[in-house]
Amino acid sequence: MSISLEELLKLPEEEILTHNERLTGEQLRNKKQTFFEDVHEGMELPKYIYHPTPTHLFRWSAAIENFHRIHYDLDFGLNHDKNPALLVHGSWKQSVAPQYLKDWTLPKGWPWKASFEHRAMLVPGDILIMWGRITGLQEKGGMGLVDLDLGMTTQDGIESMPGTATVVLPLKDGPDIPYPFVPPRD
Amino acid sequence: MTQETQSALTPEVQAMIGVSGEVVEAWGDVNEEYLRRFTQALMDPDPRYWDEEFAKSTPYGEIITPPIMVSYMATRIRPDQEDPITRAFLEDPESDGIGRVERPGALPPVPTNLVRVLNAGNELEIYKYPSIGDKLFFQNRYSDIRERVGREGQPFLIITTETTFTNEKKEVLCITRASTIRR
Repeated sequence: MSISLEELLKLPEEEILTHNERLTGEQLRNKKQTFFEDVHEGMELPKYIYHPTPTHLFRWSAAIENFHRIHYDLDFGLNHDKNPALLVHGSWKQSVAPQYLKDWTLPKGWPWKASFEHRAMLVPGDILIMWGRITGLQEKGGMGLVDLDLGMTTQDGIESMPGTATVVLPLKDGPDIPYPFVPPRD
Repeated sequence: MTQETQSALTPEVQAMIGVSGEVVEAWGDVNEEYLRRFTQALMDPDPRYWDEEFAKSTPYGEIITPPIMVSYMATRIRPDQEDPITRAFLEDPESDGIGRVERPGALPPVPTNLVRVLNAGNELEIYKYPSIGDKLFFQNRYSDIRERVGREGQPFLIITTETTFTNEKKEVLCITRASTIRR
């Protein structure tokens, strides 16, 4: 059982880091299916915890060819844009979200859709907690639709990416989720 | 909004809603090296991205790639175009490294004198994981432009650009919507 976000945020920083539930490659390989019947409203998803450094930011800039200096040129960020430090990329956050949903729905579910806003400036050294909470459940077309609130919260409880998502979990006695994914009809 | 404050949602701005760009073929293809760099930077160790034998046993039947990866691959600077970074710094030695760097598939600018740009949010719909070797195609469209009024009574715009990503089989991979605030 994952610790609740509320309880996690009461912990000292070094203890928050010990509650990271990001899956290893082997855990992802062997992950057992969570079925629609296994979940309930209010249930919290595992917490993915990150502690980015300037090197992580540089690696992301290089990987996606994002040349915005606020992410790797500290002098520019401080003196030109008047930022408090290098800034964590919004593009990285928005890429973690579908990864997080993929991992939770594996091996046979589907991370259908998500939307989120970008708030707050995140900086190296922040502890970032990717979280999700079930807000609604609907069975439709032989699929289990799960609505979620999600976000990426700092160790201080500042929500940097409030959002929502809808993912699909298979039913225990239901058909396979189609791939490529075809949404259920209204 | 007071009578003295002019609306930012002018007829010229409204006319941009629905304007689409051309379907652009992204340079290169989906490949293992880009995938390795992307997933390592994302810190996603999923063997579905690199273990071909295991990937064949999954519902996808092959190596997959993160859905949103295509949005970064698609806007890579082509090797046959002028180096936009060098040009950006020639034009402005204080360039932020991104503002004047032209990317393929860009839509015509929205005709507004509101120049400050802030990221307002993103939406993502996922239909298929891109496959290794896929050619990528994308098309941008202004899907929505709305006006809001700030705390000090000044109007600002929320501009949403929708991008549809497809492969060479015309299969929709994902649809993204990026909203920016223009103040």
